[in-house]
Order: sequence, then structure tokens, then C-alpha cells
Amino acid sequence: MVAGKKTKKTHESINNRLALVMKSGKYTLGYKTILRSLRNSKGKLIIISNNCLPLRKSEIEYYAMLAKVGVHHFNGNNVDLGTACGKYFRVSCLSIIDPGDSDIIKTLPGEQ
Amino acid sequence: MVKFLKPNKAVIVLQGRFAGRKAVIVRSFDEGTRDRPYGHCLVAGIGKYPKKVIRKDSAKKTAKKSRVKAFIKLVNYSHIMPTRYTLDVDLKDVVTLDALQSRDKKVTAAKETKARFEERFKTGKNRWFFSKLRYDSNVIRLSLIKSWVKQEKSEERVQTVGGLQ
Repeated sequence: MVAGKKTKKTHESINNRLALVMKSGKYTLGYKTILRSLRNSKGKLIIISNNCLPLRKSEIEYYAMLAKVGVHHFNGNNVDLGTACGKYFRVSCLSIIDPGDSDIIKTLPGEQ
Repeated sequence: MVKFLKPNKAVIVLQGRFAGRKAVIVRSFDEGTRDRPYGHCLVAGIGKYPKKVIRKDSAKKTAKKSRVKAFIKLVNYSHIMPTRYTLDVDLKDVVTLDALQSRDKKVTAAKETKARFEERFKTGKNRWFFSKLRYDSNVIRLSLIKSWVKQEKSEERVQTVGGLQ
């Protein structure tokens, strides 16, 4: 399957898109704030790292299912996701409120 | 991006005296109010679930077992777990902010809510709402969510099996 080779390329593009969101868009990092963004229907895409606590992951996915918001499981752990966001701390989950110039919301949920 | 904390949504209360109880949102205040500057909602929930009724119960026993105790409460959004279920019971006229002002009003409102809940329970609809959520632990919020997730997953499995049939 070509999937193996493909993931490296798309992974980089996710990182690029995330960087663009960080620069030009609105986002929140962290479990509490993303639940808040889902509750007031501001969140447009949720990204969860692969080592997010499984119960927490299920809860976020459930909220996203209720809110009809896409969830993307980031191919990396919270350290990687933090780096991808350009932060010096770990990020287990983040919510994109306004993508700015990025097309992350149009391209990502389809890839799932 | 769909707002889901709307009236008639069934939720599970996660904190407080009524942790673990199911409730239905009667009115939601997304922006909060001056007293409560956070998103919160007025819920009407089940204080005491109706007990299991079996075939050989007499009419008197059935009536006693089908009793429901209701509560009315203002809860913070972060203290409830929304579910995919809804409960279409018209409580808007009974459960109001005004009802929470004094104990007497609250008691009368709760009694009326209790009557409507019991009426709905007796029809046999919304069975999920009137069944206790089984959870075990001292750390209530996590165990509630865990048992809730387990229930959802097993329902999913049942549904897909049903689909295959």
C-alpha cells in the first residue's frame, strides 16, 4: 500500500497548515478550552495527539460528534504537536476556531 | 459547529449532590448572566430513579415503584455531560428561573416536574432516561464518563451487529 510513503508527505503538510493557522488564525490549546469551544460552537476542527488519554480522547470525540465537528488524530505525541504549534510546551489537544489563511479545515477531515 | 446544548437535550450531571443523575435541559444561558458569568443551563433531572417493576407486582406496588423524584437546578456547562438523547417533555412553563427564587416555589415546580416525568415513564418511552447510569468509583466525574463511554461503545456494537443481520 502506498499509505506508508504518503503519510510522511501529508504529515509535513499538516504541520505546514498548522503553522499557518498559528500565525494567521485563532485556536485554543488544551482540554478545557476545546470543550468550551465545542460547547459554544466556535470550534471548527479538533486535533488530538496520539498519546492523549484514551478516556479524554473518547470524550472529546463524543462532544465533536454532537457538534458535528471533525476530529483529526495527529500523527505524533503531545510533544510533537506542541512543536508543530510552535510552542515550547506539550499540547495534547487543540481546537481551531478560525483557520485564517490556512485551508486546514477543507483538506483535513476528508483525509480521515 | 452545531450548537447542541439546547432545550430538551438529555444530559448527565457530573458534579454536586446530583452527580450521576440524568437531567434534561429546560433553558440554556450560553452567555451567562450577571450573577453567573459563565455558560450554564436550567435543568430538570431525576433525583430518585423509578425502581424496576416486574410482572408479578400488584397494582399498588407498581404505583409505588414507578415514583420519580425530580430536581431543578442551575448547572454550569462544564458540570454536565451532554448525550445524544433528547427528552421531549414540556417543562418550560413549570421550570423557570422564577421557580428557583424561593423554596416553596421550587417545591411546587419540582412536584409538577415529578408528575410529568412519571407520566412519561409510565408510557414506556425514553427508557434510557429513566434508567440509572451504573458507575462505580469515588472519583465520580471520570468514572461517569468512563461508564458512559462504555455504554455508548456497546450500543454502537449492538447497532452494527443489528445492521449486519
